[in-house]
Amino acid sequence: MSLIKMENVTKIYHTGEISVTALQNINLEIDKGSFISFIGPSGSGKTTLLNLIGCLDKPTEGDIIVNDVKINLLDRKNGAKFRGDSLGFVFQNFNLVPVLTVYENVEYPLLMVKNVPVSERRTRVLDLLEKVNMLDQKNKYPNQISGGQKQRVAVARALVTNPSVVLADEPTANLDHKTALKVIDIMRQMKKELGTTFIFSTHDPKIVGNAEIVYTLEDGKIVNNKKGGE
Amino acid sequence: MKNIIKIAIRNLFRYTRRTLLTTTLISIGVILVIVFAGLGGSFKSAMIGIITDSMLADVQVHKSGYVETIDNIPLNIFLTENEMEVLQPKLDNNAKIEAYSPRIKFGAMISDYNQTSNIRLSGVYPEKEQATCPTLTDRFSGVSDPINFVKPGEIIIPDILVKGLNVEIGNDVVIVGTNRHGSVNGLSLKIVGVSEGVMGPQGKEGFIHIEDALNLLRMDETEISEVAIRLNRGEDVKIAYTELNQALSGEKSEDGSRIYEVHPWNKLTHFGSIANIVDLLIMMVRVILISIVLISVMNIMMMSVFERTSEIGTIAAIGTSPRKILSLFLAEGFFLGFISTLAGVIIGVGLLLFMQWQPVQFTFGPMENLVLIPDIPIKEVLATSGIVVLVSLFASWQPARKASKLEPVDALGHV
Repeated sequence: MSLIKMENVTKIYHTGEISVTALQNINLEIDKGSFISFIGPSGSGKTTLLNLIGCLDKPTEGDIIVNDVKINLLDRKNGAKFRGDSLGFVFQNFNLVPVLTVYENVEYPLLMVKNVPVSERRTRVLDLLEKVNMLDQKNKYPNQISGGQKQRVAVARALVTNPSVVLADEPTANLDHKTALKVIDIMRQMKKELGTTFIFSTHDPKIVGNAEIVYTLEDGKIVNNKKGGE
Repeated sequence: MKNIIKIAIRNLFRYTRRTLLTTTLISIGVILVIVFAGLGGSFKSAMIGIITDSMLADVQVHKSGYVETIDNIPLNIFLTENEMEVLQPKLDNNAKIEAYSPRIKFGAMISDYNQTSNIRLSGVYPEKEQATCPTLTDRFSGVSDPINFVKPGEIIIPDILVKGLNVEIGNDVVIVGTNRHGSVNGLSLKIVGVSEGVMGPQGKEGFIHIEDALNLLRMDETEISEVAIRLNRGEDVKIAYTELNQALSGEKSEDGSRIYEVHPWNKLTHFGSIANIVDLLIMMVRVILISIVLISVMNIMMMSVFERTSEIGTIAAIGTSPRKILSLFLAEGFFLGFISTLAGVIIGVGLLLFMQWQPVQFTFGPMENLVLIPDIPIKEVLATSGIVVLVSLFASWQPARKASKLEPVDALGHV
């Protein structure tokens, strides 16, 4: 049984009288515990695809089923609840909340989204910070740590609610190659330890090699899928 | 809630300079309202105190038509003895009334045998007048017995006449008056005191005993031009006036017109309008404060939402409900108002306390060296604080709603 299923998904953006087809008739199934990568040139539809799977946007046509929920039918409130319960996000620009410390940033989804009791919260946050090797930086604010460290914190934040899927849009784009590999390593390790499905988009061919399945997008269509390293 | 408050306060101080500037602006507004209300309110109270406690009392009863021609000091619109007999039980039995004082008011000529001038006089029962206007004798100099401040054969003259006629306490003067029938009469009286002039319709009058007034005006029976009434509680003026007016409204003359007219103090002096202007000015300052809060909080919150659009997208993407995002921004606006109010109240009340310690002296009309000891207007402080906090919430509503309505995908793409 697939964790994610996209059926005939099309996304068209309308700007005034101009219509741009970002995704066209996408059919896709992703199994639980996969480590998937989407590649393709700018404008190929990678971010749109991740946004649709992440319940951040709605398709113009077609259905998207994640965790047995037809997410294209969810309203704003239920969409937010679904994201909080089932999804984790890692962004290209890290997107940590600047007024919160590293610890508080990781704690945020448990506190503001899921209302987890304090003792459990503390255990889970410290455990994840240790896993991403950021425990010693827990009291620092985002402006006091490096880009690579910020992205490790972002990975910990994405995982703290035990989501089924973590979506990462170009997570290594703002990192040097060495740091980027470290972040991908951490993601792989987390996938292995927690069984979480990771889906990320990237430009970096060396990073792509780490994915189990690589989907190539061009002009809003999946033109190729192959096993990582092929 | 605790976490929303924590994040809101941290966000508020994220742009320290901007927040401090806005906080300062709102605080200055709060300080202005508190200090202005404290000073304005105490000025009003002080002046009302002088007017009611030393001149007009709280309410006055006249014969109908008297007040309309009061500037001419009419001699033919007096309450007769019979009319006073009807009035007195109503005053005696009214629990709101502490004391009342019948007065005969008239204009006369005063002469020290060398020079002559005009004088406005009140013929009074001194003990009743003292009970009705307890601070009247504070304005007198030379008076030894405040309860019985003027006896038959004595006169207290206003200070402007002391200078004008070059007389002093102990001198004899002649008062020449004309009664309502045109009959002229004179009376020799001894000056026993000088009254300090104060602002108001009766602020430059002299005082004689009512028996002398009756003799001078050759009255066969005691007729009264006005009855000044002191209430147990000054704040009851409106109610007491209404009740008394209603009680006397049924008393009609043969032609069906009302015999008595009743007036609260503020209808007998222009200071009633000044008091209203003071209230209006306090209200104006309050409106300015509301505008400052509304514009500055809305401005800062709109900027905040715009600058943090991507951050709003992030927290929305990770599952924060629109309601919580709304609460976060409302809390920010609330605390902006609350912190500003707190600072404003502390400084404003501090300034008033300083002015209580170092009172302000001022001159108002003929009254010099008046001391203004400002009140701490607790009601005003609470009302101002409440208004600022509520307006802050109101001003944050639109930006907060905008933030909560942002689509995560659009917000995340905002640069």
